[in-house]
Amino acid sequence: MNVAPAVDMDRVGAVLDRFEKGERSHLVHALQDLQSEIHYLPKEAIKAAAKYLDVPLHSAFSVATFYKAFSLVPRGETIIKVCLGTSCHIRGASVVVEDLRIGLGVGPGETTQDMKYTVEVVNCVGACALAPVVIANTRYIADVKPGTIVKIIEEG
Amino acid sequence: MYIYIDGKKISANDGETILAVANRNNIYIPTLCHHEALDDVGACRVCMVEITHKDWGGWTNLVTACLYPVEEGLVISTSSDAVRRSRGTTLDLLMARCPTSDVIRWMAEENGEISVRYEQVDDGSKCIMCSLCVRACEKMGCNAIGTVGRGHDKKIAPPFFENPENCIGCGACAAICPTGHIEMKDTRTTREIWEKKFDFVACEVCGEPVMTEEYRDYAIANRDLPADYYTTCSACKKKKLASHFDKVGS
Amino acid sequence: MGIANLKKLEARRSALHKAHENVKTQVRVCSGTGCAALGAFEVYDALVEESKKAGLPVQVELAPCGKDKDPIFVSLTGCQGFCQIGPLVHILPEDILYTGVKVSSVKDIVGKTLADGQVIDKLLYKNPEDKKRLKGRADIPFYKGQELVALEGCGSVAADSLDSYIASGGFSSLAKALKMDPDQVIAEVEKSGLRGRGGGGFPTGRKWRSCVNATGDERFVICNGDEGDPGAFMDCCIMEGDPYRVIEGMIICAHAVGSSTGFIYVRHEYPRAVERLSLAVKTCEENGLLGTKILGSDLNFDISVARGGGAFVCGESTALMRSIEGSVGEPRAKYVRSVQRGFRDKPTVLNNVETFACVPSIINEGSDWFASRGTEKSSGTKAFCLVGKVVNTGLIEVPMGTKLRDVVFGIGGGIIDGRPFKAVQTGGPSGGCLGENYLDLPVDFDALAEAGSMMGSGGMIVMDDRTCMVDVAKYFLNFLMEESCGKCVPCREGVYQLHALLDKLSRGEGEPQDLEKIQRLGKEIQVSSLCGLGKSAPNPVLSTLKNFREEYEAHVNDKRCPAGVCRDITTFTIDPDKCTGCLVCKKACPPDAISGEKKQVHVIDQDKCTQCGACRLVCKFDAVVTS
Ligand SMILES: Cc1cc2nc3c(=O)[nH]c(=O)nc-3n(C[C@H](O)[C@H](O)[C@H](O)COP(=O)(O)O)c2cc1C
Ligand code: SF4
Ligand code: SF4
Ligand code: SF4
Ligand code: SF4
Ligand code: FES
Ligand code: FES
Ligand code: FES
Repeated sequence: MNVAPAVDMDRVGAVLDRFEKGERSHLVHALQDLQSEIHYLPKEAIKAAAKYLDVPLHSAFSVATFYKAFSLVPRGETIIKVCLGTSCHIRGASVVVEDLRIGLGVGPGETTQDMKYTVEVVNCVGACALAPVVIANTRYIADVKPGTIVKIIEEG
Repeated sequence: MYIYIDGKKISANDGETILAVANRNNIYIPTLCHHEALDDVGACRVCMVEITHKDWGGWTNLVTACLYPVEEGLVISTSSDAVRRSRGTTLDLLMARCPTSDVIRWMAEENGEISVRYEQVDDGSKCIMCSLCVRACEKMGCNAIGTVGRGHDKKIAPPFFENPENCIGCGACAAICPTGHIEMKDTRTTREIWEKKFDFVACEVCGEPVMTEEYRDYAIANRDLPADYYTTCSACKKKKLASHFDKVGS
Repeated sequence: MGIANLKKLEARRSALHKAHENVKTQVRVCSGTGCAALGAFEVYDALVEESKKAGLPVQVELAPCGKDKDPIFVSLTGCQGFCQIGPLVHILPEDILYTGVKVSSVKDIVGKTLADGQVIDKLLYKNPEDKKRLKGRADIPFYKGQELVALEGCGSVAADSLDSYIASGGFSSLAKALKMDPDQVIAEVEKSGLRGRGGGGFPTGRKWRSCVNATGDERFVICNGDEGDPGAFMDCCIMEGDPYRVIEGMIICAHAVGSSTGFIYVRHEYPRAVERLSLAVKTCEENGLLGTKILGSDLNFDISVARGGGAFVCGESTALMRSIEGSVGEPRAKYVRSVQRGFRDKPTVLNNVETFACVPSIINEGSDWFASRGTEKSSGTKAFCLVGKVVNTGLIEVPMGTKLRDVVFGIGGGIIDGRPFKAVQTGGPSGGCLGENYLDLPVDFDALAEAGSMMGSGGMIVMDDRTCMVDVAKYFLNFLMEESCGKCVPCREGVYQLHALLDKLSRGEGEPQDLEKIQRLGKEIQVSSLCGLGKSAPNPVLSTLKNFREEYEAHVNDKRCPAGVCRDITTFTIDPDKCTGCLVCKKACPPDAISGEKKQVHVIDQDKCTQCGACRLVCKFDAVVTS
């Protein structure tokens, strides 16, 4: 099992300080910044954000689970986003998912045991002309050919 | 203003919905996500009616009666073929989702032919995601439960699926749930709901449960009610009132 | 530095023009998402550094009082269109388009082209037809037949430079609009015939007018940059490549409808668009183009950039507004329209990015100019994202009414590997697939709708004979099933059931009555759902069922996928006559199901094969066959 590390509440507080207290409309934005800071949304962070922005906890939890951008479980060091947008799909993106499943042993939404990689699928990242596309953290990998992706990612 | 429902000319007020006018005139339109005391959301789609207007050149539209505001001369049909087909499909889909719900089956039977059977999603849930429970709880001011996730997997749950801190065990959510999905276990002295346990306040007269202790504390803090509201069950309150009148009468 | 009034704006522009005139050579490095993915930023850095090393007078900013003689202006632009062969470097005034530029090519570009005026042949575009090298955009078929309006600055102005935008004529349209009565501005937009580019095609002028006529003490202007269609990136390119144009369009709208607060809602998958727009907003604020008394007029207007959270449904207007309010993006019934009661229950104009990007040109060039383009009921031009199995992929803009054939076979250069054309998908998840008999269809809002598809936001995905229509429909339903907000029953349960039915077909378990069932359920979902997502969710399946019925029937009756895509009913084998034993498929096969030595015929072990199709994708000899 992946064990969540303790959450640094000072960092959470520092992120929240950037927002206006009690301004509910900042919720999505604040959760996004929190996630960029700690790579996922631990319970404590959602609770802190709800309290700070004066949003009832049930709404904050609804928001955190409604939007796909948010992850409530810890993710790996490298987040591999496989684009499954239409152009990537018809240009063979499912093979890329297959390659990763076999090569890294994890499917979409899963994280490797060593917490190194998380595989996610996304819908179009705006580089359709280069389909199929994979993004490893911030690195775009274009025109991914079958059988190549795992090596490209492991070599960094 | 006047509108026409199923051929009958009916007077209506600006700002009213079709459903409000129909209800006032005892015209039945089925609903699953509507309650007078709560804001409407238009989620269940069984209150669908067909509307048209003499100025629309024959154009008709299907709309939800619970949300559509009336306008002068609106012509409404509560059971045209298009309405029955739409409502029928909605109910067929709900039957596939909640095959164990009697309410849904009755409603579907009443609408007519149960035409199409879809692949059953039998996860034992009777929840149709009408969100009445969430709205009722919000109305209570408790905000203990909410929607989780989206799409087909959307659920109703307390935050983080944990025993909800804010729940006072008032039971409003279970009472309003049209399909009986929310489990509430009551004994003479305790209540369990959302996996949270409560103790009842016993009626000072008969010992029957009045309300949960948490509800009492919440009500004392937030509402201005007579003292016996918290200590006496409604049956005994009635009796007390009756004997009071008896005394006054004699 | 502020641009307090119209005079100052013009003074700034003429100073910049002078600076521009001085520039001897312009080097435009494309930094759109595609080229950036291929390393454009590294190329840019190397170009600047290398030029400096070579002692060339490079400027990275348009300096009105530059001291250099014959400076070379190197800039980062937005998408230049032909992303597929990026990173692109466009050199002007000679119109040299270098393609596939790598850091290693930079030395040559600096030494030969910039310093010496030579054209480097091997960096030029090679026409696949005759293998000839073509020098510039003017020569390349991909760019012919296009007309850029919304994309005018995308790929030419320096994306993060206000000065570059102003030098190219930016904000002159706002200046003109501010001298006009709000009512005149709306009348111009009405007369132009501009229809919303976000999908529905609602007349923009009429929308603005209803907002003005609605009662309310406050009005909002919102730009929809959610671009949820999973295979389209026009709005992304505009936001990244020409952010000031979007802002200018919004300010003009604010003037027209009397708003002081605006929002731009951007998809979170577009980090660079968020960054560039935020920077542009800040720069405008600092220069007096946003804030109070814009250009010395009485107009006060602020813009905030809001990031989406990854939900397609948030492109729907009411859901988008709820999302900006910080809630879950559940749509509301639109019996009262959002121009009357929208964001915070106030009158609100919501328009798409491309719609706003058209506005400055309409005001500047006049409504007649715009209306003279396109067709009678769909005026102007439209940006498309041409992708899929087509030779030339990228971002294009053509006059409305251009034939599909001219787009796919003219600009797009036909189908990859010369395979047969099968269909083009427009309108994304709300649209449909049109087959060969629609190739001569003039592309506009009404023609596409009549043909059973939709304009949508402008995704255009070309499909060949190896694309299965049942799979495409299932793909979109799967997408929509995951993206449905889950509020209303027909969409939440209905799309799930439609998907289940198609899944059944793709497994070869379909029964004859299933096609009828799909059709009926699809129709009811269309009329019963709450919002546009559910109402249009059945379109991809209904349109393919109508236009490609025989393919559905093959799945049901013969348990066969003619395109060789649906895994459960497809077998992959290698044709011994065609196999050259090149090892390529063997290397590509994820489960190692292919055996064979070099130059020997390869064989697929059917027990191990997962029917993923990788081998067929990579085989250059067409030796992998499906049955
Ligand atoms: C499910 C759904 C998704 C949508 N997504 C987008 C989108 O990504 N971008 C967009 O501009 N409009 C989108 N729209 C259309 C908007 O609701 C709205 O009509 C449009 O932004 C209005 O702008 P326009 O008139 O300039 O096109 C979507 C509509 C629906 C129903
Ligand atoms: S019982 Fe709890 S969850 Fe239900 S309405 Fe009352 S407070 Fe809310
Ligand atoms: S639990 Fe009951 S009241 Fe709540 S959403 Fe489900 S069906 Fe409706
Ligand atoms: S149609 Fe779909 S997306 Fe729209 S409200 Fe209903 S469930 Fe939500
Ligand atoms: S279809 Fe996929 S699994 Fe089967 S042989 Fe080809 S590459 Fe291997
Ligand atoms: S579909 Fe993959 S980048 Fe657009
Ligand atoms: S009662 Fe109207 S939609 Fe549910
Ligand atoms: S991103 Fe460079 S051409 Fe499109």
